[in-house]
Amino acid sequence: MSVLSMKNIHKSFGELNVLKGINLEVNKGEVVAVIGPSGGGKSTLLRCATTLETIDKGEITIGGDTLAKDSDKGAVYCDRKTLQEIRGKFGLVFQNFNLFPHFSVRRNITESLIHVQKKSREEANQICDALLEKMGLSDKADSYPCNLSGGQQQRVSIARALATNPDIIFFDEPTSALDPELTAGVLKVIRELAEEHMTMVIVTHEMSFARDVADRIVFMDGGVIVEQGPAKELINNPKSERTKEFLAGY
Amino acid sequence: MDKLIPIITQLSQGLVYTIGIFALTLLFAIPLGLLVAKGRMSKNKIISSIVRVYISIMRGTPLMLQLLIVYFVPYYVFKLNLRDLVIGSLDYRFIATIIGFSLNYAAYFGEIFRGGIQSMPQGQYEAAQVLGFTKTQTYFRIILPQVIKRVLPSVTNEVITLVKDTSLAQVLSLTEMFTAAKKLASAQVSVLPFIVAGIFYYIMNGIIEIIMTRIEKKMNYYK
Ligand SMILES: Nc1ncnc2c1ncn2[C@@H]1O[C@H](COP(=O)(O)OP(=O)(O)OP(=O)(O)O)[C@@H](O)[C@H]1O
Ligand SMILES: [Mg+2]
Repeated sequence: MSVLSMKNIHKSFGELNVLKGINLEVNKGEVVAVIGPSGGGKSTLLRCATTLETIDKGEITIGGDTLAKDSDKGAVYCDRKTLQEIRGKFGLVFQNFNLFPHFSVRRNITESLIHVQKKSREEANQICDALLEKMGLSDKADSYPCNLSGGQQQRVSIARALATNPDIIFFDEPTSALDPELTAGVLKVIRELAEEHMTMVIVTHEMSFARDVADRIVFMDGGVIVEQGPAKELINNPKSERTKEFLAGY
Repeated sequence: MDKLIPIITQLSQGLVYTIGIFALTLLFAIPLGLLVAKGRMSKNKIISSIVRVYISIMRGTPLMLQLLIVYFVPYYVFKLNLRDLVIGSLDYRFIATIIGFSLNYAAYFGEIFRGGIQSMPQGQYEAAQVLGFTKTQTYFRIILPQVIKRVLPSVTNEVITLVKDTSLAQVLSLTEMFTAAKKLASAQVSVLPFIVAGIFYYIMNGIIEIIMTRIEKKMNYYK
């Protein structure tokens, strides 16, 4: 079953064509890593999937709901209510966390549960406690983001993204803003999620991580998917010249 | 001592006006300032241009002049005689003062708020958006609380200036504290009323500083 379906996605910023007809299907339980050189459109692709950018042309379906549909005049977006529903079906983890600094860790996680998902405070707190335990941060519920290390902050933001029990989680370079010694904790958490068959799309520059954790790797360059395939195969045996060239840099 | 007591009683009567101007100006100018900030950042070119002109006039001309205009324009331009207008126990002199001060300070507050709002990282909006917060929720739960912390020092400056600016109401012959001091000084041929008035202003601002510092400290729980 496909959790995310992106068909023939086109996106440009003014004159700059950033996505030139991307097709990406992600099945339930699948872990997809997106790799590729800087400026290739990886972040833009995630931002289009997560409603932060609107596409010019193409179709996006998430968790069975259609976010955007194609028409003669380009992509047509769903109504507000569906949009709101879709936003409950995915989580997004940013490179620089984007936690709410004025909220405690607990409130960062529960605020949307209470005020968007309309869950009771108790239920929200239970969800929060369970997630923090999973992230190894049970003792940090009352801390503020500024008092946490980058790695801890990123784990809180993962917990926040998981809180709505989404069908899919997107990560945009979740460890790029971290000091090297802090990446391990974050990668471990993502690895555990993969073992639980959480559906994930991860943009990353950590090649060995992508190879070990992802089921499939997508190599993007110049706004197109150049090559994709089973993780180990793509890393060990890239077919396209561009992929080879890119991987040679690692 | 027998000189000081009448000074203090008379200045206290003026002080009531001073505090009235001060409090009402804050009450109106702060929400109005939020609107000014919103208008100034509006995508609608007409709205943002109007607000821009408004701000530049308010900041580019003397407040004293603005007070005179608010007071006299209804009569001289619109032939509207508001000068005998009394609402409750407030006459038009006072009302015009509040309108003038509020319009003026809203411009300053508006620019401070705009700076605060624009200094917010885009990521805060994006995180809120993907979590499903509505625009209103995002504004009141995520953005505004952080903006308040960011603008607090500049707001404190404005508030302190406002205390001293209340003396400009003398231009409409409103007997606030400064006017009261002036009258007393000439009646008693003494500078003592001025000194006492100065002490009053100083104490008011001292209290404001203590309060604002406390609020700032309270918001220091996060960076
Ligand atoms: N909001 C925007 N406005 C204009 N151009 C943009 C915008 N966002 C991205 N771009 C451009 O689109 C292209 C693709 O950017 P994108 O961030 O998607 O690349 P990326 O693959 O994520 O790169 P990196 O590995 O450096 O994160 C770049 O040329 C970038 O400058
Ligand atoms: Mg990127």
